Formats: sequence, structure tokens, C-alpha cells
Amino acid sequence: MFFNFRMKIFLFVILFLTSFCKFVFAEEQKIIAMGDIEFGEYLGAECAACHHQAGISKGIPAINGMDAEVFVALMVAYRSKEMENPVMQMIAGRLDDEQIGSLALYFSKLDPPK
Amino acid sequence: MSKISRRTFTGIAAASVATLSMPSISLGALPRVVVIGGGAGGATAARYIAKDSKGGVHVTLVEASKRYYTCFFSNLYLGGFRNYGSIGHNYYGLAVNRGVNVVHEWAVSVDSAAKKVNLGSGNSISYDKLVISPGIDLKYDTINGYSAEAQTHMPHAWKSGTQVQLLRNQVMNMKQGGTFVMVPPPNPYRCPPGPYERVSMIAHQFKKSNPTAKIVVLDPKNKFSKQGLFMEGWQRHYPGMIEWIDADTHGGLKNINVSKMEFETDLDTFKADAACVVPGQKAGAIAMAAGVNNGDWCPIVPASMQSQADENIYVLGDASIAKSMPKSGFSANSQAKVAANHIRGALTGSKVFDARYSNTCWSLVATNDGIKVGASYAAGSEAIDVTSKFVSKTGEDSALRKATYEESIGWYEGITTDMFS
Repeated sequence: MFFNFRMKIFLFVILFLTSFCKFVFAEEQKIIAMGDIEFGEYLGAECAACHHQAGISKGIPAINGMDAEVFVALMVAYRSKEMENPVMQMIAGRLDDEQIGSLALYFSKLDPPK
Repeated sequence: MSKISRRTFTGIAAASVATLSMPSISLGALPRVVVIGGGAGGATAARYIAKDSKGGVHVTLVEASKRYYTCFFSNLYLGGFRNYGSIGHNYYGLAVNRGVNVVHEWAVSVDSAAKKVNLGSGNSISYDKLVISPGIDLKYDTINGYSAEAQTHMPHAWKSGTQVQLLRNQVMNMKQGGTFVMVPPPNPYRCPPGPYERVSMIAHQFKKSNPTAKIVVLDPKNKFSKQGLFMEGWQRHYPGMIEWIDADTHGGLKNINVSKMEFETDLDTFKADAACVVPGQKAGAIAMAAGVNNGDWCPIVPASMQSQADENIYVLGDASIAKSMPKSGFSANSQAKVAANHIRGALTGSKVFDARYSNTCWSLVATNDGIKVGASYAAGSEAIDVTSKFVSKTGEDSALRKATYEESIGWYEGITTDMFS
């Protein structure tokens, strides 16, 4: 599977937290507030080379419609190399907060996989 | 009578010209982009310009093939992991979903002063901005004895399509215990890890159907992409089957005798029962016809992918000199997005963002044993420069290698959707 066990736990925890206590994501929300959706659409084209635009998760997880806070938390974790996967570490590694916020805004507005 | 009929005819002709030109009069208000080549660079550029301009730019894609077989994943077909139909795509999505005018013809020349592309049929198409993404042509004469005629006996299979299917057939029909000779191309060439993934995939097939077969690799180079990873994999999965001989050791391929299937080097003359010979490469012919090349390849402006020779022409993918960016489908797709953003900005005034590029090349060594290499890039003043990079490590556990392979399948679905939907 694409996600190893640690990553699954991590994802579960942040999904749980986003559902019940948005205030925990004060940092993430600050980053989202820096975002610009048009910039996110341009930057998001890089993601679309691998992440299927119909939102199909096959070897690579779908990101369309992802909750913006979760998106930011994941990208920050890849940027700091807390999450594994060298491709994502490389992609996130050169994104600043404004860019991550822009991507989070853009992808959160797309239709999630059916 | 004849006067009347001539006048009548002229009237009808004038009326029909007026009718026919109605669409082009209304289109005349729209800026026009012509894209030559419907691969990873051209299809992506056409799609993004059409999609993001939301009807504000008239996009024409000129691509001779009605069905496009990707070069990437064609090695997986050679190894028996994919059927050939699964790597074939058409232009329905671009035409229907994105409103791209798809023209199935060859572009034969470019009149850059008049801003026109001339087609094989004798028609021409006008442009405000032109994208040239023709991929590669082969330099058969870089190998003595090899030629366009010889490719039926020793397929290069370096452009996807019939050649790849022919090579698969020759691999499957090689005599038991026979020798397969692989000649990789000299630098620079399309898909740096490709020849070595191909060796892996042919070895995988032989292991199942011809276990005493041998593969001899006569390389014009002394090192290659992901070398440590491939060599480790060959040792692990195909011990004793593959002999890779570097240029210093064999002293250079002096001649190929196609009818005898012999390869002459300083070291020895190798006799093959089947072979794959990939010669040197250059930008596709239309790039030369357009005059945007300098030698075999086309210099570009790193910030936009514009040709250094003509600001109204953009060159994408294998044909361009992207320096540290490898010639890959992923690279071409990435470059297309930068060019599309720049072209739209120039034609519609939309915001132009800084260029950013990336590439990842996945290769399959054996069942569930995937490896990858990749980098991100930014536009420097002289060239496209690496900002960071990574490569799989030797000795990785099998779960990670399996995840890498599954990731490559996800990528294939993702990028082909990003090109054609």
C-alpha cells in the first residue's frame, strides 16, 4: 500500500481532529489564509502529473476535495520529512507556506472522488 | 449560356466561400495556438491552454497518429506486465471535452515570418503562438551497418508503436538458450533509464519462457542512469543472464552485420539470435524545418520554454535542450504547463507565474520491484537548474519496492489523464 502503518495512524488522527476540533489547526488555518486559489490552480498542475484528476486512488492517493487543513498538515509533514516518500518530500520541500495554502484552497474546492 | 453559367458558378462559389469562412471570421477574434505533436508535451500543452483559457484561445493540435501509444510503460509490455492496448490513447477527450481542433496530419514546415504551419496535405494553419513538441528522430548512421531498413531485423523500438510489438514478437520467438544483444543509445537520448529497464523486462520474460537465454548489453557509455540499482536487481533476479559491457571494455561498436546478426567490437564479435539496437537521437524533423534547432536539439529560454530563435515558438520535451532535465514524458508534461501558462498570459493577459519544473522516472526491475529517480527544477538565467533530487536506494525492502511499483501505475493513470482527458 502507498501509506505505511505510521502514516495511516497519522492520517487517522488528523482526520479525527479536523472533524471535532478545528481550533487545533490554528497553524494550518494561518497557512490557508495566505493562499490564492488562482496560484493554487497553477501550482496544482504539478500535482496532476501523478494524482489522478478524476480523483481515483490507484497506487497514488486522490487529493481532489481534500479538507484544506488536512492538506496543509500533510504537506508540512512532507516538507519537514516527518512523512516518508521521496517524491512528496521533494515536491513539498520547495513549497513555502503561501504556496501550500494556495494548493490547499484549490484542491479543497475540487469534487472529491465519488 | 456559358457566360451565365460561369457567373452563376462564380456566385455560388463566392457564397460558399463566405459560408465556409464564417467560422474562421468568428474565430478570427480569438488568439490562435497551434501545437505540433500529440505526446506528453504537446497533448498536455493543448489541453492546458484550452482548459485554462475557457474558450478564450483557439487551439489546434497537429498529430499524425490517430492512436498514440506511450513510450513510457512500453517496456512493461515487453516484460509481459501490460497488454499493448492498455498503453494506447486517442484524442477524443481533447477534441470533445476541451474543444481542441485535432488535425491528423504531418506538419512539414513552418513559415515563421507569416506565422503559418504547412501540412502534408498542402493546407496551412495560422498561429499567434506555436508549440513544437515532436519528440525524437533517430540518427541511424551513428552505428555502422544500422539503417531504417535494418530496424525490422533489429528493432530500435524507441518510438512506441509497431516497432515495440515487433521486438516483443522477436523476444518471444528467440530460440531456446539463444543470445539477445541490446545496444543502448549514446547520450543524450530519450528516457535515460529506459534501455536498462528494457533489459530487465526482457530478462523477466526470458526467465519465464527461455530460462537459459543470455542478454549481452554492448553499451556506448561507461555508466548509466540508476546503474547501482539495476545491477543489484539483475544480480538478484536474473543471476548469470545479463552481461553488461561498457565502452572502455569492448572498445566501441565497429560495425553491425545485419544479415549475419553480428556485432563487431574490439573485444569480440558477438552473434545474436535477436537484438534491439537504439541509435543516437535528435529533435524531430519539424524542429529542424522550423529552424529552431542548434545542431541536433533546440535551445530554449528556461523561464518559459520559448525557442531562443523565435519568441512566438515554444519547444517542449525531448526536442528541447533542457540541460539537467532528462528527456522524459514527465519532463515534457511539466514543461508544457510552464509554456501553457506563459502562452495564455501573452495572448489573454492572464497572470504568468514563475516557471517550476519536476520529473520522476519510475522503472520496473522485476515483479513488484520498482525503483525511481527524480528532481525538481527552477529556471536559471542560462539553463534549467536542479533544486533538489532523490533516487531509490540499493537494499530497500520488498514492501517499499512494491509500493514504488504501485505508485508508478498510479502515475501512468494520472499523467495519461493529464494529457488526454
